[in-house]
Amino acid sequence: MKNYYELTYIVDPVLEEDQIKEVISKINSHLEDNGAEIDEVDEWGMRKFAYEMDKKNSGYYVNAYFEASSDSIENLERTMRIDDRVMRYLTLKYDAKMLRHRELQKKNAVPSIFKQETEDED
Amino acid sequence: MIKNPSHPKKGHLKNKECKFTKAGLEYIDYKNTDLLERFMNDQGKILPRRVTGTSAKYQRQLARAIKRARFLGLIPYVAENLR
Repeated sequence: MKNYYELTYIVDPVLEEDQIKEVISKINSHLEDNGAEIDEVDEWGMRKFAYEMDKKNSGYYVNAYFEASSDSIENLERTMRIDDRVMRYLTLKYDAKMLRHRELQKKNAVPSIFKQETEDED
Repeated sequence: MIKNPSHPKKGHLKNKECKFTKAGLEYIDYKNTDLLERFMNDQGKILPRRVTGTSAKYQRQLARAIKRARFLGLIPYVAENLR
């Protein structure tokens, strides 16, 4: 049974650029080795944290979308937990609503909540 | 209900409409931090339903999205000056 997943993880910013690339390619190949079909990998790059995390103020964000079987996720999360270079990760399984949202996102047609309503700002 | 005119909740009381239902948004994305911050106060707290007029269904989703974004360090747990 295959599901659609979204994964966001933060790579340790202390690492050199090629080491960061190595972590990302390791995760990607790990996904593919477990029979996942990668839809999109979006590297947000270095980003400042909103609060201090493990004595660090920024991290390298990677956001990925893929289709995989449910057992491979457990495997993936274990790999990321063991790997010290991955600071945090968040995996989400997409349900029907989220999938519809994703389709809209791809078409750049997500309905916006606030258009000109700036008076709501507090 | 609220007597203090400088109370932050003042002025919000008129809009009793759920913005998510109105816009037809089905899923609140934790990556959309601009949107999430509109539903937080300057300390980084989630605004209550009675202030924003969000329906219960979307308030739950909103809270979940905010908590996910906080976990990933996209928005703060506590902040003195958010904006």
